[in-house]
Parts: sequence; structure tokens; C-alpha cells
Amino acid sequence: MNASVEKAINHTGTGADHDVSLVEAVNLALARAMEEDDSVVVLGEDIATNGGVFRATVGLKERFGYKRVMDTPLAETLIAGTAVGMATQGLKPVAEFQFMGFIYAGLEQIISHAARMRNRTRGRLSCPIVYRAPFGGGIHAPEHHSESTEALFAHIPGLRVVIPSSPQRAYGLLLAAIRNPDPVIFLEPKRIYRAVSHTVKDNGDALPLDTCFTLREGDDVTLISWGASITETLQAADRLAEQGVSAEVIDVATISPLDRDTLLCSVAKTGRAVIVHEACRNGGFGAEVAASIAEGAFLDLQAPVVRVTGYDTIMPYYRNEAHYLPKTEDIVRAVEEVIAL
Amino acid sequence: MNTFRLPDLGEGLPEAEIVEWHIKVGDTVAVDQPLVSVETAKAIVEVPSPEAGVIAKLFGEAGDIIHTGEPLLAFEGEGDDSGTVVGELKGSDKGGEGSREDQFIIGAAASSKRARANRATPGVRALAERLGVSLEAIKGSGPGGLITNDDVHRQASHQKQLGEAEGLRGPRRTMAKNMALSHAQVVPVSIFEDADIHDWPKGTDITMRLVQAIAHACEASPALNCWFDGDNLSRRLLEEVHIGIAVDTPEGLFVPVLRDVNHRTTDDLRQGLENLREAVATRKIPPKEMQGATITLSNFGTMTGQYANPIVSPPQVAIVGAGRIREKVVPHEGKPAVRRIMPLSVTFDHRAATGGEAARFMAGLVNSLESG
Repeated sequence: MNASVEKAINHTGTGADHDVSLVEAVNLALARAMEEDDSVVVLGEDIATNGGVFRATVGLKERFGYKRVMDTPLAETLIAGTAVGMATQGLKPVAEFQFMGFIYAGLEQIISHAARMRNRTRGRLSCPIVYRAPFGGGIHAPEHHSESTEALFAHIPGLRVVIPSSPQRAYGLLLAAIRNPDPVIFLEPKRIYRAVSHTVKDNGDALPLDTCFTLREGDDVTLISWGASITETLQAADRLAEQGVSAEVIDVATISPLDRDTLLCSVAKTGRAVIVHEACRNGGFGAEVAASIAEGAFLDLQAPVVRVTGYDTIMPYYRNEAHYLPKTEDIVRAVEEVIAL
Repeated sequence: MNTFRLPDLGEGLPEAEIVEWHIKVGDTVAVDQPLVSVETAKAIVEVPSPEAGVIAKLFGEAGDIIHTGEPLLAFEGEGDDSGTVVGELKGSDKGGEGSREDQFIIGAAASSKRARANRATPGVRALAERLGVSLEAIKGSGPGGLITNDDVHRQASHQKQLGEAEGLRGPRRTMAKNMALSHAQVVPVSIFEDADIHDWPKGTDITMRLVQAIAHACEASPALNCWFDGDNLSRRLLEEVHIGIAVDTPEGLFVPVLRDVNHRTTDDLRQGLENLREAVATRKIPPKEMQGATITLSNFGTMTGQYANPIVSPPQVAIVGAGRIREKVVPHEGKPAVRRIMPLSVTFDHRAATGGEAARFMAGLVNSLESG
């Protein structure tokens, strides 16, 4: 077992603060939720005995037993569908897809059943499921391991799509997702799984879903992003600050339903918006953000809304993946473009 | 700069609205000096300074909502925060640098919310400027709260007829909010009675008699000396009696607290009351002197008026109103007589006490006042 995770797990329940990475915060939140609520169960491939390919579930089987921490066969349809059955019958499953690229086999269950169950049964049954999946590129993985297809899920009514971008937000949002009575797609930016360690208060406090988070206050331009791209976006804000440009940075966090109010307030102040995401541009979630700003803040805009995104092509193999991902310079350049107006 | 974040104000309330800053950038403050009044869903609370220092930045203005844990203000001096920067996420860990906290604001920054308020098209803005109307005074009736031409014209004609409205500040604002809060929560019932105080010796200290009578009545009916929690349907019967004394001032209502009245001598209480009145008059009363009352006395009879249904201030359960003492023809020992009478009112929260308990309280009050 990873030593720091072990330390973190052993401290769960004390309410003490720890320096943890994003993936360790996921582990802390899972342990906290399982301790608080016996109906919370965890399932997925290699998550129990092995502890998960990224170690997100390490130690849980030892602590909560194999009846609540279940290794599944290599069958995503089964993972997604079993969770639907569990959830409608009173459990709160947290199902892991090992990588977002493997989730498509489960879509039938997620889209046609989990997302619709409340509506279909006129509220008699609900699906309190969290589908977790690591997503995004930048870790030199093979094909199918670097997807950022969050926009697919944001398009489905009945699904919440939540993307943390820091250890504290991973902890607070995962707890909120597990306590939420409806299905949540919880996408974990694996490129920053261990990039930073922050103090996380393991006090069982959830953060609110369906709201953006303002990471920095600024006056000249609003940078809007989510997931791993928050890293480059904050770096760009630093770089811009050196140039005398004050950038507000917003982590959308819950992309569906979208907290348009926070975005519109910020753009009302700055008059400029640059949207940053790793997924390809065409039909990406940035398009929804841009359209919302055009509809709701047209009178406030000083410049066109600009997107900095991945390319409209399949995520390249790892030698070229750095060329695909939006870079700090790309964001700075886009800001310079809108500031010029 | 050192950031001071909005502390948990108790009862897990997640946010608070800034009512009034007591300090400004550049001020030197002492430990425990009140920095700001904030209003939670429950009450208006003073936030004391956690340290002595110089104020470098305020993170909001009156009317802004701040969540627990979000930056409230910053002190000058050491710190890893760089001023306008709220977030601290950096690109990569440099390792061995110690722990860093992750700061962020839930939803929009206060400065952004202000920017989105009072939205209007350029044409409407120009009209407002021409008519001398401030958009801040208008609540837009258009789509998404947009201020329309009509809104501006309406405001302009109001201003012409009535002049500008005066925004409430300080104690008057606090009073407005607290009374409305009470009205929304409490189920008030009032009962009235007269006390015959004709036999009091000359020069009797009326307020002290009332204070002692309330202490006596609380013993007779403990359910009214109580803090009641309507959300959790729980109550706390209190041993000590701390009486909030309503004091009228030109700035508004103040209610300093006279503590532990059942265990103190009359002279001590009188001195305590004088001190409180003095502190109110000079506006030097610390906020903590106005907290913790278990029951309230409104002695409006020093001006005029007989009976009233004064407002109970939660979590308290009762308030006593004492009206103007006057001479009245009343039956006395079988004959009409002119006697000095003090009219009394007790308003209580019927969620927390029964009518019987309140009546016994009133009886205790009258008995104490009428004895010798």
C-alpha cells in the first residue's frame, strides 16, 4: 500500500487535515462516505484486491470487506448495469470505469436506464450512483486511455457531470456526488492525480454541486476551464499577471447542469472570456459555455468569446500528445487577442 | 498579506451577508476588535479580529454574500498570498515545501456579482444618466433582471415626487432585519395586566423593581426564561436570568444585557444598568454586551403608552412591556379609589411556552410589583 494513502486512511474520522494529492483525496472521500453510510458500496475492475490502477480505492477492501468493495469481471456493461440494479434497490454504488475510454460499453445502461429511472418511474425509483472514471491525456498512455468526452454526458438529461480539479474539490465534490440521490458522472483528471498535494480537511464536509468555483479574482478577462486544464489556465493567469493583465479564473466543476450565473457575473465584470478545455473543439462543452455567454452577457462583451481546445482529431499516441493538449502559451496568446479589442 | 477567512459562525451556517464594515483599509486593529457585522440566516453577528495588525484589503462590500471559509479580509505582513490572487493552485509541486491550502470561492466572486447587478442596455443607461437616476436604486423588470426604459422613468418620477430614499444603516438596519426575522418565526401571544403600585414608597426605583419582578416571575414560571430552537424543536431552560433592556436612541434600538439579575444586589444592578446606558449613549458598547439575553424588558412607559405587544427576539421566548404609570379610579377595599397603576404586557412565543405558563409568569410579575 502506498504509504501516504495508508496514513491518510488511518486518519479518516479524526477530522484532521492532511497534505494529499487529488487521487488520495478521492480515496479519503470514498472511505469517509463508506464509514458514514453502510449503503455505500464500491465496484469496478481491479479496485478491491489490487486497490485500483491509480490506487484510488487502495485499502478500502481491507477496511470495509469484500461485500462492500467488489472486483468485477472485465465487463463495463455489467458494471454500469449492476450499479443501476443496486441503486434502485437501496444501495449507493460508486462504480469505477478504469479509464473513460472504456465507458462506452456501459452507455446503454447509463443513458437508457440510470439517467431515466427517476423520470420513467415518476419518481418512485431513483439511481443514486456515482460513475467514476479517470479522464484526459498527458500520462503517456496507449490508445483509449486519454479520452476527454465529457460533452457526451453533459448532453444527456438526467446525468450530472462533475469534474474536480484540486484535492479539496475532489474530496468535497465526491462526497456531494455520493450523497446526491441521482446519477453523477464523476470524471477525475488523471494527469493531475498526483501533480499537487494540498491540505485537505477530512471533516466529511461536502462542497456544493451545480456551482462553479472562482479560483482567482481578476478584472480584465475571465478564463473558464475545468479538469486538468485548470493547471495551464492558472499558469497562464500567472504569466498574464506579470504582463499587467488581471485574469479571473473559474473552474466550472459541474459542467451539467451548468452554473451560468457565475460565468455571466464574471463576464459582466471583465467583458472578455476565454474558454480552455482539453477535449476537441467541435461540439465540445466549450461551445455550450460560449453560447451561454453570448445569450446572457452579450451586452457586457468587449470582445468575441474565444476557445482554446484540443484538436478535432483522435488523441495522438503519446509521442505527440503534448502537441495536442492546450498549452499555457496558447491561453496567453488567446487572451492577448481578446485584450487587444 | 495574511488572509483572514470568514469563520464558522456557528450552527453550520454556510454563508453570511456583509452588513457593515467597522474598519477600512489601512486601519490598525487590535485582537478581538469588531471588524464587520455580518448577517446569517439566524442573526446579525460581529466578527472579531483574530489578530492585531493593519488591514490591507477587504474582500467584499456591504450586501455581498461570503461563504464560510472564503477570504474576508487581509492583514499586511507575511503570507504567501499575493493580493488580488485568491487561488493558490500552482502547476506542479515543488516538493518539501510544506502544506499549501487550496483557496477558492464557491460560485462567483463578490466583485463579479456586483458587476452583473443593475444591468441595462446602453440606451437605458444614457436615459438614466439624463434623468439623474442611479441604476443601483432600480430592480430591473426586464428579461433576466434587465433594467428597462420604463423602470428608469418610474424611478425618476418617484425621485421627483418623494426625493431619494434613505438606506438604513447600523442599528436601525439591524433592528429592521431582526424584527422581520422574529415576525417570520415567532408565534406571539400577548397578555395584559395592571399592577397596583400605589403603596410604593416615594423615590422607588421603577426599573429596578421591574428587573427584580422579572427575576421573580422567571422563578415562578421557568418556561419563559428559556432559549428556544424552532428548527430543531428543542429548548434550553436557563438558570440565570439575563435581562435585555431595550434602550431607545436617535440611531435606533439598542438592547444591552443586564446579567444574572437574580444573584446581584440592587445597588450592583443599578450601577450595572447605569454603565450600560452610558455605554449606549456614547456608542461605546461592545457587541458582546448586547448578546446572551434570556428575556427582554421594554420600559416604554418612561415615555408614554399603556399596553403593547412587543416583539420577541429569538432564541428568547418572552418580552415584558411596562407602560406609563398613571392614576386610575379602581375598586379598592370595596370602594372606588384613585390608585397608581402600572400597565403590563407580556408577549411570549407560543411555540415554546403554554398560555398557563405565561399567565403564571404574569402573576409572578404582578405579585412582586405589588408587594411592599
